[in-house]
Amino acid sequence: MKKILALLLALCMIFALAACGGTAAKTDGKTDGGETVLKLWCIATESDANRPAYLQAIADYEAAHPGVKIEMEAFENESYKTKIKAAMMGGDTDDLPDIFFSWSGAFLGEFVNAGRVQCLDENFKAYADKIPESMLSTTTYDGKHFGVPTTFNIVAMYANMDMLAEVGWDHVPETYEDLTACCDALVAAGKIPFGCAGKETWCVTEYLEPIIIKTIGYQDLNKIFAGEASWNDPDIAKSVDTLQDMIAKGYFDPNGAALGNDEVKANFLAGKTAFYQNGSWNTGEVAAAEFKSGVGLFPLMNADRSSYNQTIGGPSDVLAVCSASKNLEAASAAAVELGKEICHYNFLNAVGMPAWAVDYDTSSLPPLLVDIGALVNSCEGLVLFGDTAMAADPAQIYLSYVAQVYGGAIDGEGFIAGLTKDIG
Amino acid sequence: MNRMYSKKIHILIFLLPALALFCGVLIAPIGASAYYSLFDWNGFGPKTFIGFSNYKELFTSDAIGFLKALRNSLLLAALSVFLQLPLALGLALTLGKKIKGERLFLSVYFMPVLISTVVIGQLWLKIYNPDYGILNVFLRAIGLERWAKIWLGTKETALGAVFVPTLWQYVGYHMLLLYAGVKSVPPELREAAMLDGATDGQVNRFIVLPYIKPIIRISVIFAVTGSLKSFDLIYVLTNGGPLHATEVPSTLMINMLFLRNRYGMGSTIAVLLIVLCFGFALLISAIFREEE
Amino acid sequence: MNNNSKTARILIYIGLVFWLLVNLFPVYWMFTFSLKNNAEIFGENVVGLPHHWLWSNYASALKTGNMGRYFLNSAIVAVATILITLVVALMATFALTRLIWKRRKTLNKFFMLGLTIPIHASIVPVYVTLSRMHMLNTYWALIIPYAAFSLSMAILVCTGFMNEIPRDLDESACIDGCSVWGIFLRIIVPLMKPAVATVGIYTFLQCWNELMFANIFISKSALRTLPVGVQALSGQYTTEWGPIGAALVLATFPTLFIYIFLSKKIQESFIAGAIKG
Repeated sequence: MKKILALLLALCMIFALAACGGTAAKTDGKTDGGETVLKLWCIATESDANRPAYLQAIADYEAAHPGVKIEMEAFENESYKTKIKAAMMGGDTDDLPDIFFSWSGAFLGEFVNAGRVQCLDENFKAYADKIPESMLSTTTYDGKHFGVPTTFNIVAMYANMDMLAEVGWDHVPETYEDLTACCDALVAAGKIPFGCAGKETWCVTEYLEPIIIKTIGYQDLNKIFAGEASWNDPDIAKSVDTLQDMIAKGYFDPNGAALGNDEVKANFLAGKTAFYQNGSWNTGEVAAAEFKSGVGLFPLMNADRSSYNQTIGGPSDVLAVCSASKNLEAASAAAVELGKEICHYNFLNAVGMPAWAVDYDTSSLPPLLVDIGALVNSCEGLVLFGDTAMAADPAQIYLSYVAQVYGGAIDGEGFIAGLTKDIG
Repeated sequence: MNRMYSKKIHILIFLLPALALFCGVLIAPIGASAYYSLFDWNGFGPKTFIGFSNYKELFTSDAIGFLKALRNSLLLAALSVFLQLPLALGLALTLGKKIKGERLFLSVYFMPVLISTVVIGQLWLKIYNPDYGILNVFLRAIGLERWAKIWLGTKETALGAVFVPTLWQYVGYHMLLLYAGVKSVPPELREAAMLDGATDGQVNRFIVLPYIKPIIRISVIFAVTGSLKSFDLIYVLTNGGPLHATEVPSTLMINMLFLRNRYGMGSTIAVLLIVLCFGFALLISAIFREEE
Repeated sequence: MNNNSKTARILIYIGLVFWLLVNLFPVYWMFTFSLKNNAEIFGENVVGLPHHWLWSNYASALKTGNMGRYFLNSAIVAVATILITLVVALMATFALTRLIWKRRKTLNKFFMLGLTIPIHASIVPVYVTLSRMHMLNTYWALIIPYAAFSLSMAILVCTGFMNEIPRDLDESACIDGCSVWGIFLRIIVPLMKPAVATVGIYTFLQCWNELMFANIFISKSALRTLPVGVQALSGQYTTEWGPIGAALVLATFPTLFIYIFLSKKIQESFIAGAIKG
């Protein structure tokens, strides 16, 4: 037995040595022709609405910068999360991209803290008048900028105006009294007001977080998400109770609990629910629906702490540069320009709002997009989506409590008590 | 020849590739996981040694719910042994009797094993869909409106709803294994028993089953370890939800490793999962030996 | 009595046919799904035949999805994995069943440990090792781990077959002056043909639909395998499901056809493997 053990150990050592001592030729990120090749990882897969913007922006960039080639690789959303984390954990710099897609807030923040992301302050200097500082706030860590926004989104309440008209409404309700009156009328007429995908908890937060921000205001919610203030706020409990009250009154499609977002969205687009509250990246699809569509924000709940024009949202999608890149300068310059242009084309394609200054013609955009643009412009306070703003571990804990709220397993008191205990 | 066959150098050369592959890809990572399970580490930042705290937290924290996940997968293992295998065995025995269309049945029953789990998952999502899913539509059509449920979205039904396709997909696999055994029973044994006036049931009970015991053992081991490892289908169907009702150790592990950035805790679950699978494999082997 | 057994027979057939339909349903569903649009897939018409047969879904799956390339990659990986698994397993089995040394039973048990190790548990350590060896983004990044995870089953099957080969053959070959390698290559390996088929099938099942490793270890889209390719068709914000269905069909049906074509052979070797193993 000892001999076998010794043999095994020896083998493992051989393997380890081979692993450490591997000296295969390293690429220096250049092709034979002296071209600089930049690897870009993103989630703009074939059917993703962002893909045309990425392709167009890359084509423009390559045309303007001969000698730079951008190799884009797109991965499916969920698997990308595992992939980029494994790449950051894993060994060799050759296996990392030069530029990578990331979610802003804590997702990028953990990579920044580990020293894996390149600071882009120098590169942003040339763009000072093109992007407001507020749009960089979610990717600023210790006062330094690390991310380039590719889109900007808020939570919008889309409405099927045809369905609303059937129960006597010609506008999207703007106060809570109006909203409940409208929903009651819909329920009385045998229609379902809202759909919400219980299978994907982030969809539930798209309902809960707007209620919270409209109750406690953006400053306080930002502090809570950042871990600087406690969840122990009775107004949050009240917000949770409001959502559960709406569920209890039959405002939500009970089947939603088992559905994914694609299915819930399909229900709204097929005219089965009257409202759909979700990110503004859906605007293109909603505008293309067969019914007359409208958009608004969730109503104000507590005028003492909040206001109607506060909302959940922010530049949640960004590009960042790996600090291990062999072509740091080229990658950093490309990331900023690409981010700006992707954002530009995304807006024109109606899949996102502009985080960057709009210096191009927008006259051909669908009216729904113009409406959302107006909402964004009048915005008085923003809080990033909770699961993006919070660090990974608390974010998952938070999501599991949100799921319990939607499932009716806990009430508002239980929500704040649990989160105070588990997060603070 | 014996001298030639005992030379150390030959033994080493013949074993080396297998050992290198096996140790490098399977054993070394277990070592790495065992090591990392002693740290509080997100996978890329600095790590802190915390001894066995991860293990302690795993077994005591209600928020993580490891014990519940473990209970779920043990329940799946039990169902697999007491529902899936008997069904597979029944099919194998029936088809083993030279029934007409034997080959067609065999071929089709095995098909779900070949279809990617992603496809199977999407299919069952459609079957369970509360609005238009075949299951609810059927229940409504035959007047059992009350029985129609949000199968994957309700805590009470989700676990059962996830287990059904998980068990169904591999019935064909076990059936083919067992069928192989049934076919290997020497026809003389069977005929002799028939001549003595044994019924079909008696032949199966006293001749076939004892004969194919080794294969049943392998089937049971595969069924149990497979249940403990099960991941793909649950990931597609519910990803552990609603409210952790369908969480199993593997989904919890992937969650910790890649979503919650708790690499140390993920490694802890990995280590426990391996220990568990191996322990059960030994236990089952022991039980079968006891019987003999 | 006669009547009774007739009823029993009919009941058995009803049961068998019912189970047949249950197992055929996924194939039917996948095929019709691939020809529908989103509205039909999500509710209007889930199980029926498509209202409009959208063959264009296939065109877009082939064109934008690059399925041909992914299929080729999957095939290359599968074939190489099977070959390596076979060579390595045959050699190891030879040492475990023929060569004479202490503790070979213990080592055999050690290899069987592999049957119980969940593939997901080793992702990150394997990733780091492959990365250090500069093997990520090559076919090897998948072939080596797949072969390693198939090894235990392969040794299990080969052991059964090799034990069946009479030792007299070795003896006489030895007397004829064959070396160890001669015996292994000229006597044993040719007699292991049935085992080759069985191991091939088990290994194929193991690696053809694997998603987790394939996703994490391969970044170049030119090297992606089918499951990852299919998955990469769906996006974060919008998803057109028809072409995904078409891609699923393209990914699955060739395997099914090959299986139906070879089902007799496959079943026989599966059977052989099960008995010997």
